Amino acid sequence: GFGFFRNILGNKVLSEEDLDKALAGMKDHLMKKNVAPEVAQHLCDVVSKSLVGRKTGSWTPIEKTVRAAMEDALRKILTPSTSVDLLHEIQRLKLANPPRPYVISVVGVNGVGKSTNLSKIAFWLLQNNLKLLIAACDTFRSGAVEQLRVHAQNLKKLTEREGGEIELFEKGYGKDAANIARDAITYGRERGFDVVLIDTAGRRHNDTRLMSSLEKFAKYANPDKIVMVGEALVGTDSVQQARNFNAAFGPSRNLDFFLISKCDTVGDMIGSMVNMTYSTGIPVLFVGTGQMYTDLRTLSVSWAVNMLMG
Amino acid sequence: MVLADLGRRINAAMADLTRSNVVDEKVLDSMLKEICMALLESDVNVKLVSTLRANIKKKINLKDQAPGVNRRRLVQKTVFDELCALVDCQSEDGDSASAFKPKKGRSSVIMFVGLQGAGKTTSCTKLALWYQRRGFKVGLVCADTFRAGAFDQLKQNATKAKVPYYGSYTETDPVAVAAAGVARFKSEKFDIIIVDTSGRHRQEEELFAEMVQISKAVKPDQTIMVLDATIGQAAESQSKAFKESSDFGAIILTKMDGHAKGGGAISAVAATRTPIVFIGTGEHIHDLEPFTPTQFISKLLGMGDIKGLVDH
Ligand SMILES: Nc1nc2c(ncn2[C@@H]2O[C@H](COP(=O)(O)OP(=O)(O)OP(=O)(O)O)[C@@H](O)[C@H]2O)c(=O)[nH]1
Ligand SMILES: Nc1nc2c(ncn2[C@@H]2O[C@H](COP(=O)(O)OP(=O)(O)OP(=O)(O)O)[C@@H](O)[C@H]2O)c(=O)[nH]1
Ligand SMILES: [Mg+2]
Ligand SMILES: [Mg+2]
Repeated sequence: GFGFFRNILGNKVLSEEDLDKALAGMKDHLMKKNVAPEVAQHLCDVVSKSLVGRKTGSWTPIEKTVRAAMEDALRKILTPSTSVDLLHEIQRLKLANPPRPYVISVVGVNGVGKSTNLSKIAFWLLQNNLKLLIAACDTFRSGAVEQLRVHAQNLKKLTEREGGEIELFEKGYGKDAANIARDAITYGRERGFDVVLIDTAGRRHNDTRLMSSLEKFAKYANPDKIVMVGEALVGTDSVQQARNFNAAFGPSRNLDFFLISKCDTVGDMIGSMVNMTYSTGIPVLFVGTGQMYTDLRTLSVSWAVNMLMG
Repeated sequence: MVLADLGRRINAAMADLTRSNVVDEKVLDSMLKEICMALLESDVNVKLVSTLRANIKKKINLKDQAPGVNRRRLVQKTVFDELCALVDCQSEDGDSASAFKPKKGRSSVIMFVGLQGAGKTTSCTKLALWYQRRGFKVGLVCADTFRAGAFDQLKQNATKAKVPYYGSYTETDPVAVAAAGVARFKSEKFDIIIVDTSGRHRQEEELFAEMVQISKAVKPDQTIMVLDATIGQAAESQSKAFKESSDFGAIILTKMDGHAKGGGAISAVAATRTPIVFIGTGEHIHDLEPFTPTQFISKLLGMGDIKGLVDH
């Protein structure tokens, strides 16, 4: 009779075997979007668990049921458990007695876009009438200090007419980053800055010497927010990058959120943000979408899910 | 390091094959599955992996093999050949004959291109130093007029390496700076002139047009694409697009001191049929090593049983 149709078109109690083929296709699909195999497998397991034993809706093919469950699983991974309102937190410190500057620092591997996206955050804060100090704590990479000086100058020019206030704190090259960060914060407090933005040097997440210096950095600078910049281009290494950076600040300190840069360079292959949130439970707050100061967005989870499922 | 890890897994899968007494479809399938997993976890392009798998299965075709054939050897050789085909990119241009070889007393121009933050500026200086230590007179030109601090970065690197450099704080047209720098070093009879350019990506047409213009202005003898070893699934489409616009003839793979397995780069090599010539292994100016495909393959496959196959 209609057994065959029932099989495809729903009203069927799903078994693991029913799901296998659809899930294998789904896993492949996710890996093409730059989701790491390990993470894609996890997502498929979650979907399988949620569906086995359940009855599909009438006239609903298995593929469609699996799709909907996968969208849910992705949404869960990408949605932060607590919301962050940076501007509100900054205002609170500004009005505290005594006031102190809010400290944000960026960390991450080499060349991902830390300094550029720090400048984009600066632009956004300037537009919200906050007085900014940028601390040049990458004392290693050639041109790192000059790069920030140019950004600070540009941003000043861009916002001067609306009263934008921004200054660069730098001690040149070769000195200890943690010490400079601490001095910058003291300087910022004494001179009434609202926010101190700290740039740090890029480092490989498997470089134990450079990674261990982050613990001292977190102790000295004690930032209100530590932002890891991860790039959308990176593949499976994103899993370990996120884990190692999240573990680098000692037992009592974690990353606060990710900024995923270069989202404009990967089309819909935005899987690296799934890898990073999956492996740490740390949320993505911002995405970088270009090389201009305005190319910064807060993450829209539904946009991301659409990209990944499309 | 990096590729050895991938090699170890592939080698283990091959060793399993060697251990089992009968080589049937089941054994073959499980070995292929292992190899494909290892490749996927190293960021090799998903489509490339399934093509590889299908090709191997088709070539081996166990059912139709005559009883006398050494199946184990056949499987190993097929896997080896297919992996080679994946990374062996000398074939199209007819081996090293067409490879870039600079000559003293004649100016050669090398232009660097690549995605944002890949390591172009750093690798430029490394390569300049590499040639300089081999007796060439080398100059560096900064044609990145976009990135903040780009000229300072190149200048400080070049100063560290004691390599002459050219650039401008005021000129905003990268084509003009590139042309002026190359002309200057040519008139001073430099052997090798290396031109650094800004990072770009295929989604922004204007940036690619700019790259083509710089290339027209400096007429490079060699264009090198710099690729980050951690790149994932976007490697194929980005490198293909760079190939079409800049026709780069070599790849430098950076950040090989990291954890990444470099599979994205394998995909880029396969997609563009362009060889990797150097790898970057750190942030310092001496962290550069030459790279050869045979080394790559033997590293990929490890030693032991497979070694005999290399010499056929
Ligand atoms: N297309 C695109 N490029 C970006 C984005 N964010 C940063 N970049 C580019 O990436 C390159 C590297 O950026 P930087 O900010 O210098 O990176 P970094 O992490 O500070 O680098 P190091 O300090 O050397 O480790 C630059 O060319 C930036 O313009 C983005 O969202 N999209
Ligand atoms: N660990 C490691 N870091 C590297 C290597 N090569 C480059 N880097 C680092 O990667 C970052 C980016 O390098 P750059 O040379 O500025 O990259 P770029 O391609 O010129 O960047 P744009 O000009 O902004 O596109 C810097 O922090 C470098 O120190 C390498 O082989 N290993
Ligand atoms: Mg930086
Ligand atoms: Mg550069």
